[in-house]
Amino acid sequence: MSSRPPTIADRLRDELIAAAPQHDRDASLAIQASGLVKHFGEIHAVNGIDLRVRPGQVFGFLGQNGSGKTTTVRMLTTLLRPTAGEATVAGFNVLVDDRQVRRAIGVALQEAGLDILQTGRELLRLQSRLYNVPRGEIEDRVSHLLDVVDLSEDADRRIGGYSGGMQRRLDLASALVHSPSIIFLDEPTTGLDPISRQNLWDYIVRLNREDGVTFFLTTQYLEEADQLCDEIAILDAGEIVQQGTPDGLKSTVSADVIYVQVDGDEEAQQLAVGALLPLPNIEDARWDFNEGIAIYTRSGHDTLPLVVRTLDDHELAFSNLRLARATLDDVFFKATGHRIEPGDQAGQSAQPAQGGPA
Amino acid sequence: MSAAQASGPPQTSASQESGPLRVLTDARYLAVRAIRESVRQPGVEITNVFIPLFFLAVSTGAIANFSERGFGVENYLAFQLPVAVLQAVAGSSAASGIAIVLDMERGYFDKLLLTPASRWSIIIGRVWADAVRAIFFASIMLIAALVAGSGMASGVPGAILILVIAGLFGGAYSGIGIFIAMRTGNAQAAQAGFLLFFPLLFMAPAFAPLAVFDDWLRIIATINPVTYIMEGMRGLVMEGYAWPVTEGGQIVFGEDGLPKTKPPPALHWAFVSLAGFSVFTLTIAALALRARTRAD
Repeated sequence: MSSRPPTIADRLRDELIAAAPQHDRDASLAIQASGLVKHFGEIHAVNGIDLRVRPGQVFGFLGQNGSGKTTTVRMLTTLLRPTAGEATVAGFNVLVDDRQVRRAIGVALQEAGLDILQTGRELLRLQSRLYNVPRGEIEDRVSHLLDVVDLSEDADRRIGGYSGGMQRRLDLASALVHSPSIIFLDEPTTGLDPISRQNLWDYIVRLNREDGVTFFLTTQYLEEADQLCDEIAILDAGEIVQQGTPDGLKSTVSADVIYVQVDGDEEAQQLAVGALLPLPNIEDARWDFNEGIAIYTRSGHDTLPLVVRTLDDHELAFSNLRLARATLDDVFFKATGHRIEPGDQAGQSAQPAQGGPA
Repeated sequence: MSAAQASGPPQTSASQESGPLRVLTDARYLAVRAIRESVRQPGVEITNVFIPLFFLAVSTGAIANFSERGFGVENYLAFQLPVAVLQAVAGSSAASGIAIVLDMERGYFDKLLLTPASRWSIIIGRVWADAVRAIFFASIMLIAALVAGSGMASGVPGAILILVIAGLFGGAYSGIGIFIAMRTGNAQAAQAGFLLFFPLLFMAPAFAPLAVFDDWLRIIATINPVTYIMEGMRGLVMEGYAWPVTEGGQIVFGEDGLPKTKPPPALHWAFVSLAGFSVFTLTIAALALRARTRAD
């Protein structure tokens, strides 16, 4: 530690820290934010987000395109100045100690930020130098990271010739050169094929479990959030509308969901919902244009006959009756009033149904 | 090896983590990367060689036979050489703006901003790389003109000085490309960085001496920094580096018995103009970078 006299920046930082609410100075938290706001003119991208992420957590931000996920990540990683509110990452204020924050974190943004004219090895070498990795360790670390992301054989090819999956893996490796304690991944698997996605999930789980790396992950893929995250915040229109563990969130909706497509216009749907809601065991029923009516119940098997009888009694024709366990999609629907758009899930359609990483 | 081995505790050299030395070190890494970028895209750089050589050839071919009678310039190829050098340098330096925009579009600019490296090292690295590229392109112009018979009155030291001026001008001119890139983030706008050089060129004694200019143009040319940079180089090509010091029409001899010498006055002004031009372009580039990285 140097004993230099405090600079103006030091004093400003101390004043800001002293002025911050006490709960925002919990040094044991990896990431915390209080009332984080970001406005772009008339557009309110983020509207007062509070976050508390513990070290070693995989924290997921689940939301549709435009919900404010990326804006939040850019504020937490010092790329964007908040309009209001505060945030600390690795114990450093993102506004005052921005360089310290950047030194502590690794970031892979939504678009793999790579220089296509460099080779993979050159890019990692440059990243290592900019992160001030000791000169004697750079080559070993670069070779090792290339090995970890399965790019050793292509290390000396120009990045422009890499596939999307290879670029994404290299981008992740570039976020690891300085062994950060916190890694931000902004929609890391968007556009990846199923195998690359599974591999990336494996890397995340390995780093988290073996090295205790904290992950802040944004995603629009429900399965990804379900498989990877210890805690999930559902973001809608720049606000966190629900937060908890995946199981905890799922328990907020009923154990089972009965889906049914009722023939007819919106009026018929409303009639059906109105008829179903008073039934015993039914906790909620909502109509969605794509999915039809979702009926949330604690006991699907007991409720199913009641649903059929009730629709018959009201002379409502129906089809596609099915019973399913509640998923994050149901949580998302219940929390936001809309489902993740099919287009948002395009990448997921190729995803095998079996589970994620061990 | 496992991922665990890749991510032990962060190990960085704390002693070198900040300060001007760190900025310059990072700038050097980024300059090497920018130069490598040029080497790997030779096709992009061809115009920086071809266009100035083309203008050098056609303007000399069109005017050389008339230049002595018209405005007293005997060696028009030598007269045009600084124009070709500056044109090549401006072209290559302006390309930096486009490179920065491409970095922005590909997300690599954000990647650089996410490192602990100082923002200033991004600019300084580009400026250094452009200075090196400028020297390279100026060398090509010099060699081509010498082969074509321009001559070099100041010899090898003068040629080296021309390369130094070219390097400094290249570094300074890259500030314009960086400024446009930072302000607009638009490749087409960044491309216009080179077009801005043409008014500076045509409002300087590029094709004829200042003496034959109309008054209004001469006034503009006298406040144009490119005039002095060009004339400084021209003095080295056409008049030589060492001029004897005279007093009352007599050559002044030094204690060693040899004539005292001095550089042509234009050379002094070339460096003064370069300093002023650099301060201006690099300041606007730095302000634009700050505005972009603090964008709300």
